[in-house]
Amino acid sequence: MKKILLVCSIALTAISTTFGQAKKPTIMVVPSDNWCIKNGYFMEFDNQGTTIKIPDYKKALQEDSDVLLVISAINNMMTERGFPLKNLESVLKTLESDAAEDNMMTSKDSGSDIEETPMDKLKKVAKADIIMQLTWTVNTTGPKKSVTFILQGLDAYTDKQIAGAQGTGAPSFTAETPVLLQEAVTAHIDNFNASLQTHFEDMFENGREVIVKIQKWSDSEFDLESEVNGDELSYVIEDWMAANTVKNRFSVLDVTENMMTFEQVRMPLYNAQGRALDTRGFARELSKYLAGLGVPNKVVVKGLGRATIILGGK
Amino acid sequence: MMKQISLFSTLMLFFVFTSTAQINKQKKADKDTENWRYEIECVGIGKPGTKVIKVWSYSKKATIAINQAKKNAVHGIIFQGYAGGAQGCTNQKPLTNDPALEQQKAEFFEDFFKNEGKYMKFVSTSGDGTPTTMKVGKEYKIGVVVTVMVDLLRKDLEDAGIIKGLSSGF
Repeated sequence: MKKILLVCSIALTAISTTFGQAKKPTIMVVPSDNWCIKNGYFMEFDNQGTTIKIPDYKKALQEDSDVLLVISAINNMMTERGFPLKNLESVLKTLESDAAEDNMMTSKDSGSDIEETPMDKLKKVAKADIIMQLTWTVNTTGPKKSVTFILQGLDAYTDKQIAGAQGTGAPSFTAETPVLLQEAVTAHIDNFNASLQTHFEDMFENGREVIVKIQKWSDSEFDLESEVNGDELSYVIEDWMAANTVKNRFSVLDVTENMMTFEQVRMPLYNAQGRALDTRGFARELSKYLAGLGVPNKVVVKGLGRATIILGGK
Repeated sequence: MMKQISLFSTLMLFFVFTSTAQINKQKKADKDTENWRYEIECVGIGKPGTKVIKVWSYSKKATIAINQAKKNAVHGIIFQGYAGGAQGCTNQKPLTNDPALEQQKAEFFEDFFKNEGKYMKFVSTSGDGTPTTMKVGKEYKIGVVVTVMVDLLRKDLEDAGIIKGLSSGF
């Protein structure tokens, strides 16, 4: 009898831990483009006659101690709140070592190397579901110094600012910049976390906000104006969205015969079986529905929050 | 003998009267806390995880207002928050954004805020501890600088299931 009870309790715990929790978004602190460019940590490219500046995070982390201090302070405080963050420096190092390993790796049997499409290469960048973008300026008035500090929480997929905190600290005659920065983090992190918490609570109540795009291969026999199941395919997809989003919440940004973009799609956090759902799982349901109607398709995802369904085949 | 009895009775009556008055004043102070009759202002950025604030409390008896300051400080941090100000102070949101929480968890908070209750664990007087005293009508308005251990307080309320943590549900 005891054994049965023990097995039951272990099974229940396993079920509750597997199915009871939503997919946790990853967060990473990144210095803003503005800060990187102002402080000389950027790379320049000539893009068909236009000079493009992109931030050089590696250089910033190697050469600027202040940025390390601020990232470390924020990481510490978030860990104390039970939400450890991805560390930018570690992510960059992992990407480098992964790339080196992939280059060297060959099959023992055939000697072939790792297959990688241009799309796979493009996806190998430092990313997180939520970016904590950091900007600060040291203001100097005579002998007095103060720090203006901006912390923005950006959803990497919907491009929305979901949390933020900003302000200018008290001017000081004596304090060093690192001390002022540490003080700024202490002053602002609670407000940032309060708005992040509001975002999470909204997500639990109204579903995760994601973007779903529909596109077609150029040789596809279906486009979004094709008649499927007695209606135009775009309306068939829209009806599915209405039936499967939380409180029917989504908006159609663009529709042509070749593409359709759904924004502010509030997908449920769990599927019918109670398993945590991400955009891939959500898009897969739509993909299976379309396949059932005889429309072959392929699902391409980007993290927790963006998916594209391409009509016409895999 | 008669004189001794009447002296004893007078002393007893005086004692009962003064202690009842003291209890009533304390009850009034607790009622003021529940009714948000206190003010909080930020006086500086403390160490990470703490907030240094000045709490203004009201009472006809100065000592009660001073003692009530700690209770008001913790109450304010949980339910009210405060506006920013000088010394680099930023506005602080309350630990809960649910306006009905105090009523929903009345039993918990009654115990938490009882005299010498658990709230004492999260607050201490700061600086030299000298209160600022003002006479407003028949009452004293007393300002005391205190430090609230906000991170510990939040963690305690999260563990007790009173407020949600940042990673709740994930």
